[in-house]
Formats: sequence, C-alpha cells, structure tokens
Amino acid sequence: MPKETTPRARPDHPVVSATGLTKRYGDLVAVDAIDLRVRAGDVYGLLGPNGAGKTTFMRMLFGLVRPDHGTIEIDGIPVQPVPVRALDGVAGFVETPRFYPYLSGRKNLELLAKLDGSGRSRINEVLEVVELSDRAGSKVREYSYGMVQRLGVAASLMREPRLLVLDEPTNGLDPAGIRDMRALIQRLADSGLTVLLSSHHMDEVDEMCTRVAIMRRGQLAFDGSMSELRGRAGRATRHLVTSDDATALTICHRTPGIVHAEREGARIVFDADDVAVERLSRELVAGGVGIRLLHAPTSALTTLFFRLTDIEAGADEEAA
Amino acid sequence: MSSTASLETPTATASQLTQRRPGVGAVYGVELGKLVRQTKVRVISLVMIAAPWVFILLVLHQDRLPLETLYGRYLKTTGFATPMVVLVVAAQWLLPLIASFISGDMFSSDDNHGTYKTILTRSVARGSVFWGKVLAALSATVVLVLAIGASALLAGLVCVGGQDFISVGGTLVSPGAAFADVAVSWLSVLPGVLGFAALALCVSILTRNSVLGVVVPVVVGLVCQMYMFLNAWDTVRHLMLNWTMTAWRGLLDDPSYTEPLVRGVLVSIVYIALFVTVGYLVFRRRDVKEG
Repeated sequence: MPKETTPRARPDHPVVSATGLTKRYGDLVAVDAIDLRVRAGDVYGLLGPNGAGKTTFMRMLFGLVRPDHGTIEIDGIPVQPVPVRALDGVAGFVETPRFYPYLSGRKNLELLAKLDGSGRSRINEVLEVVELSDRAGSKVREYSYGMVQRLGVAASLMREPRLLVLDEPTNGLDPAGIRDMRALIQRLADSGLTVLLSSHHMDEVDEMCTRVAIMRRGQLAFDGSMSELRGRAGRATRHLVTSDDATALTICHRTPGIVHAEREGARIVFDADDVAVERLSRELVAGGVGIRLLHAPTSALTTLFFRLTDIEAGADEEAA
Repeated sequence: MSSTASLETPTATASQLTQRRPGVGAVYGVELGKLVRQTKVRVISLVMIAAPWVFILLVLHQDRLPLETLYGRYLKTTGFATPMVVLVVAAQWLLPLIASFISGDMFSSDDNHGTYKTILTRSVARGSVFWGKVLAALSATVVLVLAIGASALLAGLVCVGGQDFISVGGTLVSPGAAFADVAVSWLSVLPGVLGFAALALCVSILTRNSVLGVVVPVVVGLVCQMYMFLNAWDTVRHLMLNWTMTAWRGLLDDPSYTEPLVRGVLVSIVYIALFVTVGYLVFRRRDVKEG
C-alpha cells in the first residue's frame, strides 16, 4: 500500500472541499456541480428534503461512490482514487449504520478496530459515551433502531476523528433519543471536532449548526452561515381561520407584507413576518372579520427551507 | 447518552496514522473471525466432517458394497479405501458445493447486511478488503476440504483398520505408502476446488446475491459433470474443473503418470486467475450505493 506522507490539516485548506462535484445515476442527476467548503471547527449542516442529494454527496465524501465530474478533498487530499488516504481522521456513517447482526455490539467494534489498526482500547470508553455498555454483549440483531444509531456513533468515535460525518443521525429515534443524540453531537462539536451532518429538519440544523448548505435536486440552494440564513428567514407560514374567509382573503391580498395567501380547505395560508401579521389583524377586525384561529405551525427558518427547496411553489425567485 | 464520559480531542499525526494503517492481514483475520462465528458455517462444517463416519458405519452394517464406485469394493478390506471413496463421490458435486458454500457469500453477505459502507470507511484500502476476503475464502475452503479428507481417513482407520491398500493399477501398497497416496490424492483436488471457489467469489461480487453465489458454481459443476459423461471433445473435457479433480487417478496407477495432474493444475490456475481478476476489477470500481 502506498504510504501517505501528505501533512494533515493544512491551514490553507478547508477540511472538506468539493468542486464541481457531480454524480449521475442514469438520467437522474443526484448531485449537480456542487461547490462546497467546510472549515475546521464548523458544525456544518447539509439540509434538504429526501432525494435532494445529501446522501449521495456523503457517499462521495467517504469514497463509496465515485463522482462523474469534479473533485472532493479532505484536508487537501483528494478522496479519489484512493479514499483511504483522505479518510484518516474521518469517521461517521451514511444513512443507518450497519453492523454484522450475528455478532455482538462489542464484537463488531473489535472487528472495526482491527480494520482501523487501533481503537480497541477505546471500546469501553465509547460504549460508555453512547450508553451501550450494558448491552454490548448482545447480538446486534437484538438491538433497537436507536441502539444501532448509537453503536454507529460509538464506531465513529473509536477512530478519534477530526471530522465527524453523520447522515440524519436522529432519523428514526424517539424524542428522548433525538434529545440525547443532539446533546452528544453538540458536546463533540464543543470538544473541537468538525462536524458535517445532514438532516431534513431545519430545527435540528438551527439548534446545532454554525453553517448550513441547503440542497435542492442535487444543487445548492443556499450556502452560508446560520446567521445569514436567519437574516433571510423573515416570513413564516401562518394559518388563519376566520368568520368570513372570502373577505379575509381579499384583505390578505391587499395587506402589505402578506405573501402567497391562498385558501387551503377551511383555512387561509400565507407567509408573513410578525409586523405584517399585526397589520393584518387590525385590518381584519376593522373589516368586520372575526379571527377564530391565527398561528404559525412552522418557524420562519422552516418556511424559508420549504421555499428554497420547493421549485413547484415558485421559490426560485425567493432563493435568488 | 452519557454526559459524564469524556472524549479526548484527537491528536494523532499523519505519520502515526500511516504506521498503524492495516492491510490484507487485518481483513483476513476479520473475515476468518466472521466465518467461524457463523452458525451455518459451524453446522455445515461439522456435518461434512462427520459424514464419512456415518458413511463407513452404515457400509459396515450392510451386506452390499458400492461396487460401481472406484475403491468401493475395498471398503471392508482396508480403511484407506474410505477416504478414496469419499473423494470419488465428493469430487462430483460435494467439493464444488463446499467451495461455493464458503466463498459464495463472502462478498455478497456484506451487500446483504449493508456493511460495505461500514468496512470501506475504516482505515483499510478497498484492495486490501478484496484480497483479505479472497484469501480468507480460499484458505477456509482448503481447511474444510482437508478436514473432511482427514476425517474420512481417520474414520476408515478406526472403523476398518490400516490394512494394505490396492492402487488403481492393482498393486498392493503398504500402509505407509497408502497414507501418502491418500494424502496426495486429496491434495491434488485442491486446485480444482479453489477454481470453483474463485468462480463462487466472482459470482458473489457480480450478482451481490448469496444464493446465486452458492448455486451457480454447483450448477456449473453439474453441467460439466454431465458433459464429461458424453462422448464429446476431450479438449473441452480437459478444460473443465471437474476433470482436474480426477487427475489423482493417474498418480495411483501402475505405472503412474502425472500429465493429467499437471494439466489440471494449470487449467485451475487459469480459472482462478480469470475469476479473481474479473472480481477484483468489478469490486474496485463498484459504487456502494446500498445499505
């Protein structure tokens, strides 16, 4: 095997650097000419709906899938053609972590430690971190989904990574599991790890990430800091139920700051910031319309996410 | 998750990472470890190893002998006939099945479990994973075949005894020479068995299907066996893996001849090289999209 001599973590290189990264599956362009940089210390969220290309991007990052065009580098080392050179110091999982079901959790970690050439001495420690010490002797086929997720995190931590890559780490977990997983990721990030995580939950990214890229149909719809994203997320989607929806809709259309107003079943749906909502409330009352319900089921960030990732709703101009 | 357990910030340097990067040996150890921990492998191996004992005990308790099988008539005369009869029968379909059983899901089992993304994101190169798996499959096949041969020999010696042996040419052979004949005969089928194992590995990689990985080589073996029954071209017959597993008969003839064995070894090497090369090229380039 060729020996790796390139110094790691060169300060002039981002930890992850993708340039023109493209992957096609037949006619489907899963990832379309993406340029993306993750800097050391970032907790970088890769956000997008299912099928946006997040997982394909991560598979290319891990060298599991070869890009058709473009390059992806980790610490300045190209992932292809020999991924193992670039993946030193990188750990994580793509989609649900997978293990040998006929072996125990501990035995699986021991096998992985052999494939790493190290980490065996850390098995007890990482099992304790993910609170699997008591079940480490059980076969993985007996594990719940959440336990397999936690074993995936344990297997990642064994590598003492500088870059942790997690693909929808809270997917399928119950609320307590989600809370614990987020807390763990936050703690790891606080310890200095660079974290790249994908999600389709804006609130998750909002809670944990410092930077975010939003993917839509294989392309980047947004790439920047969370504060930049929050700055663009002025309007949240609101639901309105009134005593006279026809009149209320007319008032919505003429009230400044109320956009995308339309009837949706027995309610009116529109996007607005808080100031516009105040103005609308006064107009409705002045127009003799009784307000039965007015609330925002999603946050402004989530609304922006939907706008950025929903081409059919005419969101291209929103993203621009 | 624990908030009290601590994790040290990683401090490994590039040179440290390089020095500890494992290779083929690590994968080989992991794969052998996985093999011996699989219940189906343990059970089938035990059945295969026990089968010669059951066979000779049944033969000793019946009046008839399998006269149509080479060495069948000597089963009650000398214990050395037991491993030879087992070899004659096994070479037709059992040895290809053993090779397929061990090798046929060596690669596809990771497809089925979705674990390629787990092992290919560790510190071993994809080429090391390939060669480690190939070596594990081939060596486990060799060990199982030789274990069956040893078990058959032991069964014969214990149940019948170590009397003089009769070679293919009809010459009486002392127990010491008989032991050598049995050993050489079983060793001589290994290239052909490994040819079937390589075919199983290749099918396992190409189809990513464990059932096909096991079944296809066995079906190929049976088709070749049927061809060998026909009065067809000898050239084709000599290029078949099954044929290479009958080459030992020349060694036990009087006078002995080695041409079939040499040709069989060369044919097996070509098949092994072909199947392993195809498997390597496909495995190195494949995208891991599943799991």
